[in-house]
Amino acid sequence: MNIYQPQLATVTAVIDETVDTRTFRLEFRDEGFGREFSFRAGQFGEYSVFGAGESTFCIASPPTRGGYIECTVKAAGKVTAELRELNVGDTVGFRGPYGNWFPVDDWVGRDLVFIAGGIGLAPVRCVIWNVLDRRDEFGAVTIVYGARSVGDLVYKHELGEWAARDDVTLVTTVDPGGETPDWDGRVGFVPAVLGEVAPAAGNAVAVVCGPPVMIKFTFPVLEGLGFADDDVFTTLEMRMKCGVGKCGRCNIGSVYVCKDGPVFTATQVKAMPAEY
Amino acid sequence: MTEPLFLSHEALADLVAGLIAAGTAVIGPAPAGGPVIPGLEERQRPTVTGMYGTLEYREVRSADDLALGPGMPRLSLKQFFLPQNEALFAWKRRGAETEIHETPTTFNPRVVLGAKPCDVAALEIVDAVMNWEYHDELWNGRRAATTIFALACGVEDDHCFCPSVGVAPDTTKGADGLFTPVSGGFLVEATTDKGRVFLESYGAHFSAPPAGGTDEARAYREAAHGRVGANVQIDAVRVKDWIEHHFEDPFWATLGVRCNGCGACTMVCPTCHCFDIVDEEEGVGCGTRRRCWDTCQAGKFTLHASNHNPRADQIARYRQRINHKFAVYPVKFDEVLCTGCGRCVRTCQMGQNIGEILVAIDQYAQQTGEAPDTTDVAAPPAEVAP
Repeated sequence: MNIYQPQLATVTAVIDETVDTRTFRLEFRDEGFGREFSFRAGQFGEYSVFGAGESTFCIASPPTRGGYIECTVKAAGKVTAELRELNVGDTVGFRGPYGNWFPVDDWVGRDLVFIAGGIGLAPVRCVIWNVLDRRDEFGAVTIVYGARSVGDLVYKHELGEWAARDDVTLVTTVDPGGETPDWDGRVGFVPAVLGEVAPAAGNAVAVVCGPPVMIKFTFPVLEGLGFADDDVFTTLEMRMKCGVGKCGRCNIGSVYVCKDGPVFTATQVKAMPAEY
Repeated sequence: MTEPLFLSHEALADLVAGLIAAGTAVIGPAPAGGPVIPGLEERQRPTVTGMYGTLEYREVRSADDLALGPGMPRLSLKQFFLPQNEALFAWKRRGAETEIHETPTTFNPRVVLGAKPCDVAALEIVDAVMNWEYHDELWNGRRAATTIFALACGVEDDHCFCPSVGVAPDTTKGADGLFTPVSGGFLVEATTDKGRVFLESYGAHFSAPPAGGTDEARAYREAAHGRVGANVQIDAVRVKDWIEHHFEDPFWATLGVRCNGCGACTMVCPTCHCFDIVDEEEGVGCGTRRRCWDTCQAGKFTLHASNHNPRADQIARYRQRINHKFAVYPVKFDEVLCTGCGRCVRTCQMGQNIGEILVAIDQYAQQTGEAPDTTDVAAPPAEVAP
């Protein structure tokens, strides 16, 4: 078996997130492999639909919940369009986990600020649940989440769950024009809303994920709030094929996102050439 | 390196016949098969003294097929280790079940005779990325199954620039041994255990070098060094240093606008190893996942699902190619991802000349007055150091 051969997994649940986005729960066919399988928050995998090909997504479920993994997929290309059509019982392939991870263990005792845009909540959700499953070990948890429109917010059921908890501060926002008449969240772009919410930097760590333009405008806001670049983490997306540092397309300067990332601090991102 | 042995042309014919009879594939430069392209020779660049485009590496049927003289095969040796496309595995659906059929990662023994030293050195350079934490069993399996004897190169033309990137016309990097042409045959030396075992196993074909053979071989190799040395003179470390610190520079645009993004340079390159992974359906519910050569010169190479493209234009993509070869790979793996074979220069329809580009970068680096960082000098050619 070579490194490009995936494990088989069965779709055991399908959750509609938005009109074009679904979350799939997968369980490995090989029970022994499933038992042994472990990963860290922030790692990714190569998911395949046989006949369509492979695509790269983070593992969106937390490592604290074993027995399955989840991925959240927006239908955008050939593989994702095929993935979106999958039903419970269907077979997919999975290779991974690949890449580095968020140093969650280093954050014990610190406040955490999560900032996400659109489907960028998927990797952040992995960390959020990882942290909430170990809630006692961390300080205040603040989540700022935005999407283009109300319809584009993912994990709506979990947003409700987080909003209802008294140990989580959740602020949701949609871009101007994306609100519905009954929308009771904020209206505005994520970086601006983050500035309004103004979580205390103190001993906090920030985790940012979203489209490149959102990441770009969020960094200065965090800097203004007093966050040190080493305490700001993000996870980058690049088109990938192999996931293991061979196929040559995910490098930004001399950084291979698949092997050196996908998790980087703001310090590391700022040191990269302005290619991303 | 072992003491040189002599292999006459007649003995080579017997050796090849014996290898093939024993089930070992013999690969080497040979006249290209396929249709004869009218006027091909006339269209060769006047600077090309060899026979670029008329040879190819292929499995031969006898030593008669081998062309162990001047001439640069059109494609490099990489196709025998990273095929243009290869099966990674096959799948078959039966109802709700999916079966995976593995691709074997062990290969039948092969011998490469007379490959260009630059092409062989490229294999060792690419070994590094193919074994970066994850081991590419398909690449490694083919490497393990193959014994390679390079042929000391007489230097093809003024597009050859191997010494500028730390390779030499008679390097044994990546090879198990070296052939050097002498009157009546070749002097053969082994440089690895695999090569020594090969020479011992087929010792009957080899004899002691004829009188003067060793001197003749030395003269041939020295002449090649002299011929290639003047082609491109750069300080590889200064070039790397400049590229690393000048990601944004107007210089890149002057290169990028001259590139039409066809990607031919990456296909003919012995060190370019980027690939795509695609599924090919071969009927209802069955098919093969394949790995295929890909090129960083194509826009879709880095296109995100969101339509964002980090390398949105040819300027960025051309910079990527130069950057990956002469800065990224040296930083990551301590090797330049280029062996100076010059194929990209001979192939480019737009006249891009990587040798000239390297010289230009080196001069530009000196003009902009930046002192080269010599703290992590890899191995600059001493004679061209500033």
